[in-house]
Amino acid sequence: MASSFIRQMSIKSWRLLWGASSPGLSQLLKPSQPGITCVLAAGKNDLTDFPELVEDELEEQFVRGSGPGGQATNKTSNCVVLKHIPTGIVVKCHQTRSVDTNRKRAREIMREKLDVAYKGELSEVLVKKRESELRKQVKRRKVNENLERKKQFKEALAAENKPGNDSL
Amino acid sequence: MWRRALRGGPAFIGLRSGGTKAPWGFHGPRACSAPALPADRITVLQAVDFWTKQFEGKGVSEPELSSRYITAYLLGAKTMESLEQQRLKEFLSKEETDRLWELCTRRLSRMPVQYVIGEWDFRDLTLKMRPPVFIPRPETEELVELVLTDLQRLLGCGDTVLEVGCGSGAISVSLLKSRPQLKALALDRSQEAVDLTRENALRYGVQDRLQVHNIDVMKDADTLLGLSGSAAVLVSNPPYLFSQDVATLQPEILRFEDRSALDGGEDGLNVIKQILTLAPRILQNQGRVYLEVDPRHPPLIQQWVEVNVDSLQYIETRNDICSRPRFCILQNEARKPDQD
Repeated sequence: MASSFIRQMSIKSWRLLWGASSPGLSQLLKPSQPGITCVLAAGKNDLTDFPELVEDELEEQFVRGSGPGGQATNKTSNCVVLKHIPTGIVVKCHQTRSVDTNRKRAREIMREKLDVAYKGELSEVLVKKRESELRKQVKRRKVNENLERKKQFKEALAAENKPGNDSL
Repeated sequence: MWRRALRGGPAFIGLRSGGTKAPWGFHGPRACSAPALPADRITVLQAVDFWTKQFEGKGVSEPELSSRYITAYLLGAKTMESLEQQRLKEFLSKEETDRLWELCTRRLSRMPVQYVIGEWDFRDLTLKMRPPVFIPRPETEELVELVLTDLQRLLGCGDTVLEVGCGSGAISVSLLKSRPQLKALALDRSQEAVDLTRENALRYGVQDRLQVHNIDVMKDADTLLGLSGSAAVLVSNPPYLFSQDVATLQPEILRFEDRSALDGGEDGLNVIKQILTLAPRILQNQGRVYLEVDPRHPPLIQQWVEVNVDSLQYIETRNDICSRPRFCILQNEARKPDQD
């Protein structure tokens, strides 16, 4: 499992978070559909409407060293690096000297960045949709105009061929 | 005012090393080759760089981090990252430089950064630190989180938590700060720990809900049992290192932290076993024990409790952020629910 792999890394340990295995994050974890479906529900400005994080989509890195940890170690490294796998967005947080606090703040920053990223994509999608709708409308109009012109041409021809009719 | 770290480490009396041209400086007996104060003004970044190299040269662990934390503290910040870029290019005043030299010189003796600056962060708190009282580790932040999550299932107001081996008070003060209705009883065999816990409780205004006692759980079990009512939670980060491992610890720990806060005996379980033995008489029914332990302990504890503590039920083991088994949760089943 990843745990033996992690212990082999001498300086850094990447850790994939699964579900609620990490007690520090229980209040940030909410069940939600990953991807675009939950985003369509968001789209306002305050923090509570930022996209929810799905821990399965995050990779977290702590520079903790390979030592035994706990009481046996006094290391002061508590910088947190958080990566969102689907978008590749990386957040680094070293605002405080508490690992727990840095992890929570990294997630807050990640939610803000994801909001911008998703909103950006969303508007791009809509713009493209609108453009394609416009193109269809223009095409339809042209087709109708052609049909109309042909119809009138035929009518004019028919009228010409009728004796005693001098209108077009 | 700064207290010198006299216990367990070399005494620092002066800062001055010979042969400097600096117009200012401290005079006194030479300390362990402390570098001279700079002759000219230096910027924040230059100071950080200078001391990083000093620490590297002397084999001090985490040389850059140490330099950064101490400098940030001097400038009123927690970390260098939280300082404005512009500030880093500014010159330090004479007073700041003197102060920085004094602090960094202490680090040369391998004094932990937390003792050098006299404080450290624990969750959303900034706690006072003072040798030889044990410095809270990051793993213990998660222990608090576990307890908090569980306290939600206990709905009673005025629930009590009992902490064994409170050290600086990190766990108790954290819990009390997060739960305004909670009360706590904290013990430590060290009077210095008791004093520091009281100071940290006062700092965060939770002193009215916290009783701190100088009690050794190994020797004064009866006193403890006389004090405690029925606690909803028993929490502890007890000394859990194996005695043979204590000798190999880094100098920061060996020279400056209270050895009795670390050494759990031959198998690291001496204090843990005592806590678990007393737990059924300390806890209310369905009350829980939360322990931070050595990664080798959980299966040993589970087996031992099965045989030796009738009413304690082993609930689960939880891992820390480095995926090591670190926390044991047990529950007091004093009476079976259907016998109530």
